[in-house]
Amino acid sequence: MERRVVITAMSAITPIGYGKDRIVSSLLNGVSGVRPLREEEFLSPFIHCKVYGTVEDPIAYDFTRNQRKTMGPVAYYACQVAKEVLEQSGLKDDFIRSGRLGVAFGSIHGSPTVQRNIYRIFFGARDKIAIKEIGAVDYLKSMVHTTAANITKMFGITGRVISSGTACTTSSQSIGFGYEAVKFGLQDAMLCGGADEYDTTTVAVFDNLLACSTAFNETPQKTPRPFDKDRDGLVVGEGAGAVLLEEYEFAKKRGADILGEVVGFYCNNNGGDMILPNLKGITNTLKYGTESAKIPPRDVDLISAHATATKMGDIIEAQAIHDVFGDHPYVVGLKSYTGHTMAACGAIETIMTLYMMREGFIAPTLNLDAVDERCAMIRHVRQVIEHPVRLAAVQNFAFGGVNTILFIKKFS
Amino acid sequence: MTRQDIEREVIAVFHREFEIDNPDFDADLRETYEFDSIDAIELLLAIETFLGEEISQAEKKQAIGIRTIRQICDYIETLAKKRDLFSPA
Repeated sequence: MERRVVITAMSAITPIGYGKDRIVSSLLNGVSGVRPLREEEFLSPFIHCKVYGTVEDPIAYDFTRNQRKTMGPVAYYACQVAKEVLEQSGLKDDFIRSGRLGVAFGSIHGSPTVQRNIYRIFFGARDKIAIKEIGAVDYLKSMVHTTAANITKMFGITGRVISSGTACTTSSQSIGFGYEAVKFGLQDAMLCGGADEYDTTTVAVFDNLLACSTAFNETPQKTPRPFDKDRDGLVVGEGAGAVLLEEYEFAKKRGADILGEVVGFYCNNNGGDMILPNLKGITNTLKYGTESAKIPPRDVDLISAHATATKMGDIIEAQAIHDVFGDHPYVVGLKSYTGHTMAACGAIETIMTLYMMREGFIAPTLNLDAVDERCAMIRHVRQVIEHPVRLAAVQNFAFGGVNTILFIKKFS
Repeated sequence: MTRQDIEREVIAVFHREFEIDNPDFDADLRETYEFDSIDAIELLLAIETFLGEEISQAEKKQAIGIRTIRQICDYIETLAKKRDLFSPA
């Protein structure tokens, strides 16, 4: 049994805005969400990169004590977008609790803020009583599936739970695995996405790997610079994104507003180096992705590239895109607006792609002043284009050699 | 500590930790205040802090059957008596 899978609700909290209007406005007006790294006592003084994709829009949470008590900052983000998606969907409470709705949601490592506090207590403890300052709920706030678990608890969702924690492919896997669950009849709907909170630990990790941008510390909005000849690395960011996937007939029958259709997903591994981008692995992702979705590469109008703005990553991705899709589809690097929102990036970039699809425009890659000639073989977007997008691909690649591609179609 | 001290502290803990004001001492905590296993553990930690002494595993197990705030106060009173911390006046 193979069923059509449609998107019927979406919500995102991003460094360039919270909610559709703010995000679309930022994409149309070239607004960056990269800001100076906040100073804290632990890591920021030692990190070379001084910029961060920062969420600044106010968010009015109205969670009850019972909901809040197991939530770290990452779960606040996740539950907020999940709440909005369920409200937007119009799904009835009896369906939400029926077991026919599942959750696929993740973060890269739970709540680092809570984890950091546990270690602070642990290493600062002078007696046994001090250890008791570690809260009974700290594990629930910091476990890797804290986002998914808090969402199920908040809404009484009883279907399956998938909680990928595959770094930068976390939420593209969430959407992909959610798509497969609905497509093959395992669930009738899946709430999918990812979130990550403000965290300097992640910056320190990439900084140590010399993967972070450091040349634009005084001009944060000039970085990251995907495919640009002056790019010097990625910028870590925070945020959350969620989409609701439903079986088409069910969505149609209940009169849901169909925002788009997921028509393909592919995931593989490079089978080797855990960090370095791999041309063969990524090319295979795109190639087998189009084949398994039965999509002629020429039909793809727009590619949302992973495009983190690292030296080698962008070159390898441009080569892979050219090898599989040629120079026909427009290519945009949306992290140029938000920074790399880690576990959230796949969902956020899918949502931004859907916004562009629905509004009939393609945003340019920000800070792409001079294309690196080694990335020049693909069709970069340099300014806002009014152009219909019927079929888009969203690409994400992660440490550990994990690669994903999602195919999103305009619903008609 | 007196029974009055215990009740005052329990009311303060419920306000501070559980955002519950003017609690009914005889209401079922689970049904009335959505109290759950996580809250029970947080409450035991608060009781330890109040007593200034560790509660043994065996004593903690005695708390499993507690359903009301009055029973919580009784439980603390028992622990306090055992530690010579209680004064009847």
